[in-house]
Amino acid sequence: MFDALHTPDNVLIVGGSSEIGLEIAKQLARRGSSKFLLAGRSLEEMQGAARQISQVSEQAAASVSVIHYDVLAEGATESLLAAAKAELETIDMAVIAVGALGNQATDEKDPGAAERIIEVNFSKLAPAVLAIANQMATQGFGHVVVLSSVAGVRVRRSNFIYGSAKAGMDGFATALADAMIPSGVKVTVVRPGFVATRMTAHLSPAPLSTTASRVAADTLRAADRGKVTVWVPPLMAVVATVYRHLPRAIARRIPF
Amino acid sequence: MHGVCALERTELLTGWGRTQPVVANLVELNGTPASPEIFVRPGTIARGLGRAYGDAAQIGGGRVVTQPDDVSSSTLQDGVLSAGGGVSLDSILSSYVPRGWFVPVTPGTRYVSVGGAIAADIHGKNHHLEGTFSNHVESFDLLTPVGEKRVSRDGDPDLFWATAGGMGLTGVITRASFKMIPVESAYMKVETRRLENLDELMATMVGSDHKFRYSVAWIDCLARGRSMGRSVLTRGDHARLADLGGAIAGDPLHYQARPVASAPPWLPGGLLNTASVRLFNEMWFRKAPRLREDEIQKIPTFFHPLDGVAGWNRIYGPRGFLQYQFVLPDGEEEALRRILEQIASAQVPSFLAVLKRFGAANPGLLSFPRPGWTLALDIPVGSPRLFGLLERLDRLVLEASGRLYLAKDSRAKAETIAAMYPRLGELAAIKAKVDPEGLIKSDLSRRLGIL
Ligand SMILES: Cc1cc2nc3c(=O)[nH]c(=O)nc-3n(C[C@H](O)[C@H](O)[C@H](O)COP(=O)(O)OP(=O)(O)OC[C@H]3O[C@@H](n4cnc5c(N)ncnc54)[C@H](O)[C@@H]3O)c2cc1C
Repeated sequence: MFDALHTPDNVLIVGGSSEIGLEIAKQLARRGSSKFLLAGRSLEEMQGAARQISQVSEQAAASVSVIHYDVLAEGATESLLAAAKAELETIDMAVIAVGALGNQATDEKDPGAAERIIEVNFSKLAPAVLAIANQMATQGFGHVVVLSSVAGVRVRRSNFIYGSAKAGMDGFATALADAMIPSGVKVTVVRPGFVATRMTAHLSPAPLSTTASRVAADTLRAADRGKVTVWVPPLMAVVATVYRHLPRAIARRIPF
Repeated sequence: MHGVCALERTELLTGWGRTQPVVANLVELNGTPASPEIFVRPGTIARGLGRAYGDAAQIGGGRVVTQPDDVSSSTLQDGVLSAGGGVSLDSILSSYVPRGWFVPVTPGTRYVSVGGAIAADIHGKNHHLEGTFSNHVESFDLLTPVGEKRVSRDGDPDLFWATAGGMGLTGVITRASFKMIPVESAYMKVETRRLENLDELMATMVGSDHKFRYSVAWIDCLARGRSMGRSVLTRGDHARLADLGGAIAGDPLHYQARPVASAPPWLPGGLLNTASVRLFNEMWFRKAPRLREDEIQKIPTFFHPLDGVAGWNRIYGPRGFLQYQFVLPDGEEEALRRILEQIASAQVPSFLAVLKRFGAANPGLLSFPRPGWTLALDIPVGSPRLFGLLERLDRLVLEASGRLYLAKDSRAKAETIAAMYPRLGELAAIKAKVDPEGLIKSDLSRRLGIL
């Protein structure tokens, strides 16, 4: 259940070892969310995350379970939903923090690798998000938080495989928000700029870069207000609008 | 479904605070006999007029049972009114005040149902002398998953006192019989006093509340320092014929209660902020007389001023608001002071804060009132500091052996409520007898782990 301040009791983090996902979970635990289910590929990393989440609040330690989940695996989402039902009873909030950046330069030459990036970020992920949202619809409430990216706002030469998948996911999730209104389920799509995390450690930070904890805080503030989209940092919205309308010849030359 | 429901439809529901919307299946009972088959998984809960602030009268994805506000099926005999569970106090007052009868207890709004009044075991301005609504109830009909039965306070005290205050968790009250009180007029004789601080207020209430049938104080929660607790205390009783003069004496039971205005359907958040509330509080306090006695007021003015604006809860904007109401036993005045200090220093913009003294408690397992002080304040949801503040207040209330009011709650933690209501286990045992499969549930019971 949610309380009046929109703090969920039971939280599912898909992409359970994502740093942003972990930050969101920790901030929710601090506010009193009591049960977490982390779903992801690395059990070891998730166990570390679980320890961190359960140690956040001294008075009432949150209970955290982990489950192996690979969005590309056959039947993965069905077992995830079954586990969520058993562990959480109701999925009050689901944070979708699945993503793989890939390596544009090599993936361009390897359509199979490109396919996997598109599957992880969009074509396999979107149906999973839909299944979670539909499950929430039977509860009559729920909130899906989808981590998108500015990379999807205008797909660029420098990372068009990842960017196009993110663009697909972003469009899917924002329209899903409209579709879910009658069922009481909310969807919030988060568009962070360059976030300094493990996933991006090898890249040099772009302008307007941000941190996982900042993204988490802004995400939850937007979710509390029932916003459908949120940019982190907020200035990113302006930048993205300009960017979207840049002439192709100029946009092509922007390195990030 | 054996024709027990007039309609079944999907609807987005919230409590009065509009904070936790969920979609549920709404079923209106329209005929007798109602069938126990209305109770279904994942859960079923009764709903009256949705005036509980939080998530008590809803269950997301489940079934919510309502009843019509049909006062024409009620009967009054020897001062005892028998009315359907969905009948509103508003309708009862409109029908019976002109005949010289008043409800035994009314909350700050007349838009509550008889079922909701018993389920929350509501209190009014007369609690210090006359107790809660359930104190005046003789019996009710309760529909449960094992059938419908008449529950009287003497015949089945266990189920009676599990249901009174039980927040709908033992079944659906379909009809109730309760004592009305005779009145000579539709008017109130009122004393209004302005008090400069908390000490003055508490001393006045302790000293003389017993001389007044009805008493409640409005407090300016933004006032700090020496003015902390500055307030307007209104007390009174039903006016006798002899109290009335002029035109109204010719038609003493004339009663008309209707909203005079309506809040627009959509309002932005943030209208009620610290600045606007400070201004309101200042004006309200200043306009109150130091002392005014024997003022004649209409019933709605005295009891239900907020009902004058239909849908006033929308003033708080899309994120809604909550009400924080607790009771502290006598002797914990210091704790009350500390709580007020916290509220004032957090500058919570609450323009509706009321303090009242409670009298004796009743045997209701989850009944809220107990002797002492109760403070209720409306708070807009929005400030990021709210979460921490309310957690601190919970701890202060708990340490002072106080408790929160479930009909107002929308955010407390399960452990907090369990500590405040040590008899939850008894409720669960009685509930298990009438609901062996655990079909009666609400979002509140799920949130607080009351099962
Ligand atoms: C402006 C305002 C002022 C208020 N002032 C006061 C006050 O002074 N004192 C006070 O005590 N309360 C006060 N309240 C709270 C209100 O009196 C209670 O919440 C009351 O229960 C609301 O009745 P309802 O019919 O709207 O019930 P709902 O809000 O619809 O339901 C409340 C609870 O009662 C249960 N319930 C409803 N109908 C039935 C039924 N037929 N059978 C079994 N269970 C049922 C529900 O399951 C739920 O748990 C106030 C509320 C507002 C909005």
